[in-house]
Amino acid sequence: MYSINNDLKEKISRLNNMLVDKYRGVLSLESCDLRNFIEKNVGPIIPISKLSKDQLLYYSQKGGIVGVDGSNNRMGGAYPHFVEVYQGLAKSTLYKDDPIFKTDIYTPLYSETKEDILEEDGRIEETEKNKRLSTIEVEVALEGIKKFKPYAVLMDGGFIRYNIYSYEKWMELRQECEKRGILLVGVIKDIKTSIIGDKLREEDAFVKECFYDRELLFGLLNYGEIIAIKDDATKKAKIGYSSIFMRSSLAPSVIGMDILDSQRDHIEEMAKLIFTLTPENSRGVPLWLDMVDKEVKISDAMMRGLMERYMNRDVYERFFLSERDKRTL
Amino acid sequence: MKVVGITTQQEVFVGSKERNFRINEFIIIEDPYQGDLMGEVVEAKTFNRYIPLNIYGDFVDGSVLESLKALGYNVDEDTIYISKVRLLNEALYPVQTGSDVRLPEFYEVKDLMIKSSKEEGLVLGIIKNTDSIAADMGSEYKNLLYTFEESGLIPQREIPYILDIKSMHHYPHIGVFGGSGSGKSFGLRVVLEELMKLNIPTIVLDPHFEMDFSQVGDYMPSGMDGAFKEKFKCLQVGFHVGVKFEDLSAQDLKNLLDAASPLTDAMSNVVDVLFKRRDSFISFHNKLQMLTEAQEEGSLDRITIRITEAASNDEREAWLKRKELYLTYDKTCPYNSVKGIMWRLKRLDNEGVFSKDIREIEEGLQRGKLMVIQGSTRILQVFSTYLLNNLYHKRRDYKDALYKKTAADYFPPFIIVTDEAHNFAPKGYDSPSKSIIKEISQEGRKYGVFLILATQRPTLLDETITAQLNTKFIFRTVRASDIQTIKEETDLTEEESRRLPYLRTGDVFISSASMGRTIFARIRAAITCSPHTENPFDELKNKGKEDDEKFLNLIKDKLPINDTDLLHVITEIEKESRVTYTIDNLEDRLMQMVDKGHIRKEETIFGYRYKEV
Repeated sequence: MYSINNDLKEKISRLNNMLVDKYRGVLSLESCDLRNFIEKNVGPIIPISKLSKDQLLYYSQKGGIVGVDGSNNRMGGAYPHFVEVYQGLAKSTLYKDDPIFKTDIYTPLYSETKEDILEEDGRIEETEKNKRLSTIEVEVALEGIKKFKPYAVLMDGGFIRYNIYSYEKWMELRQECEKRGILLVGVIKDIKTSIIGDKLREEDAFVKECFYDRELLFGLLNYGEIIAIKDDATKKAKIGYSSIFMRSSLAPSVIGMDILDSQRDHIEEMAKLIFTLTPENSRGVPLWLDMVDKEVKISDAMMRGLMERYMNRDVYERFFLSERDKRTL
Repeated sequence: MKVVGITTQQEVFVGSKERNFRINEFIIIEDPYQGDLMGEVVEAKTFNRYIPLNIYGDFVDGSVLESLKALGYNVDEDTIYISKVRLLNEALYPVQTGSDVRLPEFYEVKDLMIKSSKEEGLVLGIIKNTDSIAADMGSEYKNLLYTFEESGLIPQREIPYILDIKSMHHYPHIGVFGGSGSGKSFGLRVVLEELMKLNIPTIVLDPHFEMDFSQVGDYMPSGMDGAFKEKFKCLQVGFHVGVKFEDLSAQDLKNLLDAASPLTDAMSNVVDVLFKRRDSFISFHNKLQMLTEAQEEGSLDRITIRITEAASNDEREAWLKRKELYLTYDKTCPYNSVKGIMWRLKRLDNEGVFSKDIREIEEGLQRGKLMVIQGSTRILQVFSTYLLNNLYHKRRDYKDALYKKTAADYFPPFIIVTDEAHNFAPKGYDSPSKSIIKEISQEGRKYGVFLILATQRPTLLDETITAQLNTKFIFRTVRASDIQTIKEETDLTEEESRRLPYLRTGDVFISSASMGRTIFARIRAAITCSPHTENPFDELKNKGKEDDEKFLNLIKDKLPINDTDLLHVITEIEKESRVTYTIDNLEDRLMQMVDKGHIRKEETIFGYRYKEV
């Protein structure tokens, strides 16, 4: 219990050394060199300011801001004995007592599409989860814009996810927003792209490996700076939206933001909005999205409570109580 | 309002989105299975899930909240109110979570709050945080009193707190605890006012000379003057009342002397041997005096010489008497002890203790009056020992006689009230007054003699006596040791005792066995005020002003005064008003007046001159 396997220790320190080795070259670059490289090849680094109160009041007159987020939780054991619950929420800053919730539930034991259980594996499971979660988020967003008629919608997550997993609904949402002139913005907490790394590899013969934006941008931007990514630097332009990176809080990590191409003119304005709504000493997420997230979250306790309350005990035990759930040690 | 969270049979949490809770408030839980359950709020909290300033470890700053407000979202509106509620009576099952909660109507709580009527009980104040229920109470409970707040006198809005004096018969004796400035003395004053209204015979031991009820507070509405004029009397020990020496038993006398200064065994023996029942002060004193004089001679031979060489017959007689005393008592009464007794006796006599009797007190009690006995703490200790013994036994003899069906003079039941009670019944060591107070605390109930003991140091009060106090008024208390004592001696909860250091002046926890629980109340404004309410610093200022005016009047018509002329002015002043000044003295005073700007000093060719402004 109190001793750690030496082998494990060794493996971890080897990992550490490997990472240090791999990144030695890139991370030893002068930060101004890297910034210059980015300005030249990726896009300009622009400092932005916070929005004035008048501007915010104008937004609230124009319908306020709607935040959209989804959450899922799962109860049970291995495939197919589990049940997964999804919940999406669209919440307007103006109509706070009237949030839009949508829920969905999924279990392989009873699904509409007939599946060949033998062929199921983790990937499909993951896809199913992403599909349902993305769809439910897009659906509440759709309902939200119809009901609240907001000035802008902040989605929790990048657009690419919706594009992949919920294409049709997503297209509907895009068109609806464009038609109504509602700004649609995605906030990416964990950026997973490698735009800068790819460029580095293209331009610099010495760089062989693939680096991700997250690690390169860590601590590189100053508080309140954004990188407006040029179209030719990314593949995303093809599917119709633009992105920026941004350091929105004092934490050194960087967040991303997606906006529809047709609404590109507003890119800096929306960056400012997100910057304004993000507490200085936070992880960099706009507070409004955090609040929505908190409200939509299905906690383990709630999940268990729901199952225990609304399911026959024998059904619950027979299908969904895994050995792990009963473990007490 | 709904019951939320995990419940027990004793305690539940109640949440509300609209209404903030107040501590000690009553609420009714409508349990669908067990019916209505009454509870009291013991802790009140508010909570906003977005302003714990901590969502996933983030610290939310004000500017972002302001920005959200500008966007139309006000975080404050998401505040919820939570209270911990303790059920008055334990429920049979844990309360159903989700039960509705409402405020009670007056008739539902009446029996819990009011145990007596204003005619039969002591209307001492209001029960805090009951204004919402009080709206529909009957007129017999309305407009009974005023409370005193920062803004001045406030008419009654809450349910009155009426102490059921009759319940003293089962739950005797009251303790009043609280630090200085906590409202303890005012609370005591209000209790006494109410006792006077009911014409209950009462003795007040008043070491502070403050229990005078003739002056009505200037804050009270007019028409109250003289409310208690005929109902109380202030008597000073040694001046109005005292000990009748002829009535003393040897034990009484020993108690008295001991209170003056502790007695040694030898000294008590001297009293036992020398004191005869019905001795007067003079005869006892003479006896002591002659014995010491004889002992000072040193031997029987020398006394005999004194007798033979006496110049007159009287002297011979006197020495014969001394010889007789010497022969009888010298062996049993050592000189130093006799001297000690004499010295103590003299001390008491000088204080006037033996010059009067207690008849006036007895008469006052017989007529249902409040008798205030004033004197220094020490002299009150001496006197109260005698007085309480005497009165208590009078009452006791009467009751015992009734029981034995023999005749005895009527003596009414009465209440004994004292401030600084720890001086009269201290913990840890014996004092003469302690034994009688202890006796009354233990068996006074049977005879209708009750105690109201106030002290700022409950820790120093004798424990046996504290244990007998069935009702306790607890005002603000800061000392940790006293809070500990209070916690041990009352049913105050942990939460309540934590509030003790922060109570406002006049706010009080009333823990009473007859109520079966602690009530949070506020003492009403006293109708009368203490003679000591003037601020000493105001007094200094006023007094200075008065003196100045007097002096200015004296010299007004003498102005201007030349400094060469002072002697002349002094003689004139002395002639007119018989006030004498020396030159230095007068010059000093004049300079003071110049300083204060009442007169002016100017330089002339003949020296200085004081002129009118």
